[in-house]
Amino acid sequence: MKYMIMMFGDAATMMEQQPREWIVEMMDFMHKLNDDLTKSGELVDAQGLTDGSQAKTVRFQNGIPVVTDGPFAESKESIIGYWIVDVESEARAIEIASRVVAFIGPAGAPPVEVRHIMDAPPEV
Amino acid sequence: MEDPLREPDSSLREPQDLLRELAPQVLGTLVRRHGQFDACEDAVQEALLAAALQWAETGVPENPRSWLMTVASRRLVDEWRSESARRRREETDAVLELPTQALASDEDDTLTLVFLCCHPSLSVPSQLALTLRAVGGLSTTEIANAFLVPEATMGQRISRAKQTLKSSGIRFDLPPPAERADRLRVVLQVLYLMFNEGYTTSSGPALQRADLTTEATRLAAMLHQLMPAEGEVAGLLALMLLTDARRAARSNADGSVVPLDEQQRARWNMAQIEAGVALLTRTLGKVPIGPYQLQAAIAAVHDEAPTASETDWPQILALYEVLEQVSPGPVVTLNRAVALAMVNGPRAGLALLGTLDGDERMAHTHRLDAVRGHLLELAGELVAAREAYQRAARMTASLPEQRYLALRAARLA
Repeated sequence: MKYMIMMFGDAATMMEQQPREWIVEMMDFMHKLNDDLTKSGELVDAQGLTDGSQAKTVRFQNGIPVVTDGPFAESKESIIGYWIVDVESEARAIEIASRVVAFIGPAGAPPVEVRHIMDAPPEV
Repeated sequence: MEDPLREPDSSLREPQDLLRELAPQVLGTLVRRHGQFDACEDAVQEALLAAALQWAETGVPENPRSWLMTVASRRLVDEWRSESARRRREETDAVLELPTQALASDEDDTLTLVFLCCHPSLSVPSQLALTLRAVGGLSTTEIANAFLVPEATMGQRISRAKQTLKSSGIRFDLPPPAERADRLRVVLQVLYLMFNEGYTTSSGPALQRADLTTEATRLAAMLHQLMPAEGEVAGLLALMLLTDARRAARSNADGSVVPLDEQQRARWNMAQIEAGVALLTRTLGKVPIGPYQLQAAIAAVHDEAPTASETDWPQILALYEVLEQVSPGPVVTLNRAVALAMVNGPRAGLALLGTLDGDERMAHTHRLDAVRGHLLELAGELVAAREAYQRAARMTASLPEQRYLALRAARLA
């Protein structure tokens, strides 16, 4: 079963507010997590996105698509990265997400979200 | 159409089929001799690759099995030489203890291999991957493609599975009689999941996914040959044949789902249905009944109806009643409700569905609402039916199914 684990927030602000040691630890943590997921044969993909402030939002306005600078969600709620994992169960995906939250949560980061990717066989 | 249950005949087989069939025999013999599943498995994979390349040019050798055995053994020796220094230090670190009995047949070796790959110490994704590689003779690339994950991920999953077997010191032996039934249940579950994984057009190139279904059926046929007296093995194989027979009619060219009662039955694979029914007939009544045999019997009743309206629903209902006693569970009750609705009317089915409301095991599945929508529609309660379809569409994890349910709901708007 594949799951997407999404991280939200504003990386720039968090890094401004956190001490250097924490930032180094965070980078190590992310590296280690990806390494563990690779070794366990569960990692499908992991990507970080550019800061939400760099996003372009496309809206339908006055009958045409209109582009504006900035993210759709509040900057601090914008998606900043994700993992796609192929795991045995939802419980395992939540375990991975919990590991992320246990690290970034104390630094004031928003929650992470776990979503099942549509890949089940149809049953009708 | 080939007979899916045909006896192997090496002179008539495509080299690739022959290789896949010989792979577990060669691996089983090597592991029995040397006791190192990990290294032997790598050696056999290399031998398979060498054979695929060479046989394509020179043709299949006279004794393909000993050709593979020779090449794999040579690889194994090369590997040992190059690692000899390290190996000497780790001599006591036996991968798998050597079995007690010195002689065993190919059949036993292949069977032992199946039990090993489906060992309960492995996670389900690992069991699937390892079975496909070691028993099915598929390459890591092929398995990665089938599961739509990067090759590196699959390679890591397989090597980790082998590592787990290594570190838990599992013997290369058939499970003791006391554990055999439980272990066989796991093996059948792995093959069933493999079959289902392929039985979908939800994502990825449909052909690659369908290969998993074919492979699961092939492995179930192999298992049945090795254990002809096991009724549930025969039952699972029959279930696969009878279900897969509908594959061509089960989805449209655009990948959308076609429900059973709307399928063009002329597109069903009659040879496969006959093979499944024949197998089931040989099995039923001669061995203790089990859930796979019963599900196969239900599939057979569907397959034997010339049109949807001629389906023998009273018989299907009776079979679900037996299934509910043999293997009770909310999904069986759900299916019995459909059969009950077809026999006694949608209200009767809906009343039975009501007993599943509040069942924790059904809280996170779309199936209850999908069936409820169907029965409400039959009962003429279109507004409620539409709501049920919409709830089901939100809950399913299958993309084609979501589209089907959304269209079903929209049709009632």
